[in-house]
Amino acid sequence: MVDALENDIRATLADRLPVEFVRTNWNRELELHTTRAALPALMLLLRDTPALDFAQLMDVCGVDWPQRAERFDVVYNLLSLTRNERVRVIVTTDEREPVASVSLLWPTATWFEREAWDMYGITFAGLADLRRILTDYGFEGHPLRKDFPLTGFSEVRYDAEAGRVVYEPVKLTQDFRNFDFLSPWEAMTTLPGDEKVHLNRIEGPEKGSETP
Amino acid sequence: MSVTTTVLGEGPGDGAGEFRRTVQMDSHTINFGPQHPAAHGVLRLILEMKGEVVERADPHIGLLHRGTEKLIEHKSYLQANPYFDRLDYVSPMCMEHSFVLAQERLMNIEDQVPPRARWIRTMFAEITRILNHLLNVTTYALDCGAITPALWGFEQREHLLEMYEMTGGSHYHVNYFRAGGVSRDIPAELPEKILRWAAQFPAFLDELEGLLTENRIFKQRTVDVGVMTAEQAMAWGFSGPNLRASGVAWDLRKSQPYEMYSEVDFEIPVGRHGDCYDRYLIRMQEMRQSLRIIEQCLLKMPTGPVKMLDSKISPPKRSEMKRSMEALIHHFKLYTEGYHVPAGQTYTVTEAPKGEFGVFLVSDGTYRPYRCKIRAPGFAHLQAMEALSKGHMLADAVAIIGSLDIVFGEIDR
Amino acid sequence: MNEIAWNNQGLGPGAEQDAVVRAVTGEIEDKGFVVASLDKVVNWARTGSLWPMTFGLACCAVPMIHAYMARYDLDRFGIIPRGSPRQSDVMIVAGTLTNKMAPALRKVYDQMSEPRWVISMGSCANGGGYYHYSYSVVRGCDRIVPVDVYVPGCPPTAEALVYGILQLQRKIRRTGTILRG
Repeated sequence: MVDALENDIRATLADRLPVEFVRTNWNRELELHTTRAALPALMLLLRDTPALDFAQLMDVCGVDWPQRAERFDVVYNLLSLTRNERVRVIVTTDEREPVASVSLLWPTATWFEREAWDMYGITFAGLADLRRILTDYGFEGHPLRKDFPLTGFSEVRYDAEAGRVVYEPVKLTQDFRNFDFLSPWEAMTTLPGDEKVHLNRIEGPEKGSETP
Repeated sequence: MSVTTTVLGEGPGDGAGEFRRTVQMDSHTINFGPQHPAAHGVLRLILEMKGEVVERADPHIGLLHRGTEKLIEHKSYLQANPYFDRLDYVSPMCMEHSFVLAQERLMNIEDQVPPRARWIRTMFAEITRILNHLLNVTTYALDCGAITPALWGFEQREHLLEMYEMTGGSHYHVNYFRAGGVSRDIPAELPEKILRWAAQFPAFLDELEGLLTENRIFKQRTVDVGVMTAEQAMAWGFSGPNLRASGVAWDLRKSQPYEMYSEVDFEIPVGRHGDCYDRYLIRMQEMRQSLRIIEQCLLKMPTGPVKMLDSKISPPKRSEMKRSMEALIHHFKLYTEGYHVPAGQTYTVTEAPKGEFGVFLVSDGTYRPYRCKIRAPGFAHLQAMEALSKGHMLADAVAIIGSLDIVFGEIDR
Repeated sequence: MNEIAWNNQGLGPGAEQDAVVRAVTGEIEDKGFVVASLDKVVNWARTGSLWPMTFGLACCAVPMIHAYMARYDLDRFGIIPRGSPRQSDVMIVAGTLTNKMAPALRKVYDQMSEPRWVISMGSCANGGGYYHYSYSVVRGCDRIVPVDVYVPGCPPTAEALVYGILQLQRKIRRTGTILRG
């Protein structure tokens, strides 16, 4: 199934666009990795070539990989009703470089792209309506980035004196217990006399003292 | 903004004693919600009106944005499972279904899931579908001014929730589907209870249809309101009953069968007009088809284990834990660290009652999901609100929201 | 008389309740009036017609609707859901309260007329619950509005909500209604 799809897409593209074909999931899903410049042309081809007919865009989302040079993946999940097949298109970007919007090809992309902007701060060129969508009015930051803390920065409370809901810095009575189960014996607590190991695990091993 | 009432001509008109006046209004904005009984949750809709006619509709969502996707990244796979119950809280088990299938796909253990577990999942997915459609159809009727369907329909829902409670232990958010099977076997008396319920359900559906389908008021509120053509519906990313109402014969249970849907016999109702009334009709028909599937599941369900035997993924039996040290260690590891999912990414979909519910799951090989994007059908449906309600009256906007089957748990996540 | 007419014991239907009703009717037929303390009459009226506002935020809204519907039938307690805060006495916060929703919730609460009560329904409204550590969730709706009764559960069953409402009625009953200066 994936073979036929890959062949058809290769035939359509005829090496005109820089596309890298990746099979994931034990050859069950097909990913097309492409560049930002080639994205609009690729999407148009995928949608309008009768043999492919990816008429439905089901999902657009971002993925954050902070260690990469271009930290964000933008993932498009396409569906072809006539072929009964799916394909995934992935481009990379960073905080600054905008990705071409596909909202003119599929109007449904508008909200999904707004969400990607809201959650990751990925900008989309040509998107008419680049407003935040899910987070609070006046929210700062992009919550799904890996460097954004889980509990955020501000919380709300009703202030009886001011007579309105006010925003304050987060104060937690108990922090989120983020267990690191990669090493089961150090996860829960720091045992007495064992502080050094615990510190090493959190901060990373000290230089030269490579623990096995 | 402003409403200006300009009286252009006032006084006796052509007829004797007739009083004619022309009222001219410019466009103004209405804030609908977030606390409105017909908003089906916490929808805030900014409506630009021209008189009584909707010019522009701008839904503000996110009033129930709970940060589910972020929280999932901080929990193990097992701990993340209950978040899915709480997404589309009208059809909890169908939401778990996608996540569980996505994990199974990444771990490549789909063919190790015992058949009984898969039949149970199929059956409960369909029970959940009826649960969802019952709530939608009856509250939709409530929005259009009929209260009786809700009073009747919720009694049927109570019966279904009793089945949930018998099986999963909780009456609502059951956390029943697990990677590698289901959390426990169904109780021995459940099949009989389902059959007893199924025997009276068609009669209930007939009564419900008797109340609504040919009801003049209901038809006036729904026929030719919020029409979506097939092309439009595809472009707007519609799926599920809303897409089928527009005349596209597309159902993931048929076209990309998962679980046991390829082994059961059922039909897919498809509409023609794509209006609110067709969407209602499709849901009514789907309930009858779901009933057929449930009955077939009960007949064809084999006996046997209900979860994978691999104790690296599914927890050991309680009785085993009392005797075997290894089982005890497995249990401890599973409920603290959880299982590791091999690195990879998948977009796994199921036909949830509202449409295509997809989970884009990225794993980096640890015990926590690296990224879990939830593709909610309602998100795409609500987006089309503007295209659907443009040119309709204000009261029709309420009918359109109801017919789209909006639940904010999944839209805002 | 006071004791009997008030039905403090909360007698269910049956011979005992009939005796109470008969006593009250007898009193009226005999004298043409009933003597009771004003406090208790006011509280009786309030507990008998608690009109909650339908504030379904999230999952808990569904058991809440179930409580209104045929099986649990809150109408028999005189509890009729209202769409408008201006007409309601009690707000049932059913579901996760998010930062974005908090000002709207407070506004609705401010629009309700005195006396007013709040029932916090479910873990999320009680204290954030499953979403406690989220960046966008209010950790308990009592940060925004004063809460009278907390109903635990995720979500609470309809029975639990009914029990919570009965607890609220008890609370109202033991409140002195007429303030003395």
